Amino acid sequence: MKIRLASVLVAIALWAAISALMTPEVLPGPLLTTQTLIADIAAGNVMTHLGMTLWRVIGGLVLAMLIGVPLGVFMGLYYRVERALDLWVMIGLTIPSLCYALICFIWLGLNEVATIVAIGITGAPSIAINLWEGVKSIDTKLVNMARVFEANRVLIFRRVILPQVLPYVMASVRFGLGVIWKIAVLIELIGRPNGVGFQLFYWYQLADMTQVLAWTLLFTIVMLIIELAILKPIEGRLFAWRPRVNL
Amino acid sequence: MTDTVAFSVRNLVKEFPGRNGAPPLRVIKGLDLTVRQSEFICILGPSGCGKSTFLNILSGLDRQYGGEIDVGGKTFRGGKPPMRIGYLFQEPRLLPWLTAEQNVDFAMTSCNVAPARRKELKDRYFVLAGLTAFRGHYPHQMSGGMCQRLALVRALCVEPDILLMDEPFSGLDELTARRMRVDLLDIWQKTRKTIIFVTHNSYEACYLSDRILMMSQGEVQEEIPVPIPRPRDYDDPAIFDINRGVVTLFLKVAEAAAPQH
Repeated sequence: MKIRLASVLVAIALWAAISALMTPEVLPGPLLTTQTLIADIAAGNVMTHLGMTLWRVIGGLVLAMLIGVPLGVFMGLYYRVERALDLWVMIGLTIPSLCYALICFIWLGLNEVATIVAIGITGAPSIAINLWEGVKSIDTKLVNMARVFEANRVLIFRRVILPQVLPYVMASVRFGLGVIWKIAVLIELIGRPNGVGFQLFYWYQLADMTQVLAWTLLFTIVMLIIELAILKPIEGRLFAWRPRVNL
Repeated sequence: MTDTVAFSVRNLVKEFPGRNGAPPLRVIKGLDLTVRQSEFICILGPSGCGKSTFLNILSGLDRQYGGEIDVGGKTFRGGKPPMRIGYLFQEPRLLPWLTAEQNVDFAMTSCNVAPARRKELKDRYFVLAGLTAFRGHYPHQMSGGMCQRLALVRALCVEPDILLMDEPFSGLDELTARRMRVDLLDIWQKTRKTIIFVTHNSYEACYLSDRILMMSQGEVQEEIPVPIPRPRDYDDPAIFDINRGVVTLFLKVAEAAAPQH
């Protein structure tokens, strides 16, 4: 924790030092950026934009999980499904999110459904790959042990399979979230009238670097809070049994 | 030892289909065996002799086989013979996300051990295995030998009709393995479970068993009784004497199985 804090302080100091050498139009310092952010929040519309973006991120993540988890699980379990779909997952991973967004907007219109569908489809392949690897690494020796001790399918799934797959589900949530919030902002930029991406683009068009940085800072802080205050503790509780690796 | 039959196997055959049109591979070729209640049998044989396949059939992991298995006066041709199995694998195969006690609970739940008996069984076998102080520990907090002891507790707590052991001490260092063998005999003396113990360590087989079946190429080649009175001493010269004969036979059998060497 101390090291983390120090590294954040060093980064802020570096930012301040470099910005001192430049005009605020090119690189505003941390103080000015924070002041702008606070003024924006006080003006009152930050929460609406942030709320819209978060709702799209969560909606997209849920959709991506709904597509990606079953896909990955079946690919890991069944050789034929793997062979039939592995190429498509790779292709899905390769296609730029911009393409999905444009296609969704053209087909479904400039609306929330199109936005969430585009986010979900972009996020799904990476989640599928995580789960696919996870299911393939299930220890079949433990499954055989459970079968020798007459465990039924439900018990084997709950006590033997699920604990092995859960770390991969968690990893895919965190990884997926990282991918998805970047896509969400991009999609807002091209097709939504609100949200953090819209604001970023708005201030970019006015060439207001301070506002662009303020919104970036806001979003980064929010994502860090989600990661540290929600995901990490959940992970810690779920995987308390795991030994710590000491090198 | 009583003369009640625990189970018997008649003309057991196991074939695996050959790949790419090759003829099927016969792993077990007509095995006959009668196991008495409370008997300690060791199956000794080189790798690939069919001993693991035999255990898989007895444990119900492999349900397709030829021949017959008789249990309790009934004959089974295929399927899982209706015996409660306690299994000790080569590795402990514990669930790392459960504590020692929860691992045992898992097996007792899946085997439907009456809830009223669970505490008593656990208390008894944790004490016998010397693991009472570790009931709340996770497997990664225990040594390899302790994990294997826990696996033994798990196998005993399901109140098995038969204990199957597949080279359970081969992954341990010699000192730990030796202690485990002594303790296993001690526990067996107190519980009198029927045990089928697979090994490729002939001294281990001589020390532990009432009877050694020497298996090779899918058949029992030799059957060697071990008439040493119990309780046994690990360094009893009588065991050395029998072992000498067993090793000679073992070499002969292994040579017949692989004549190019």
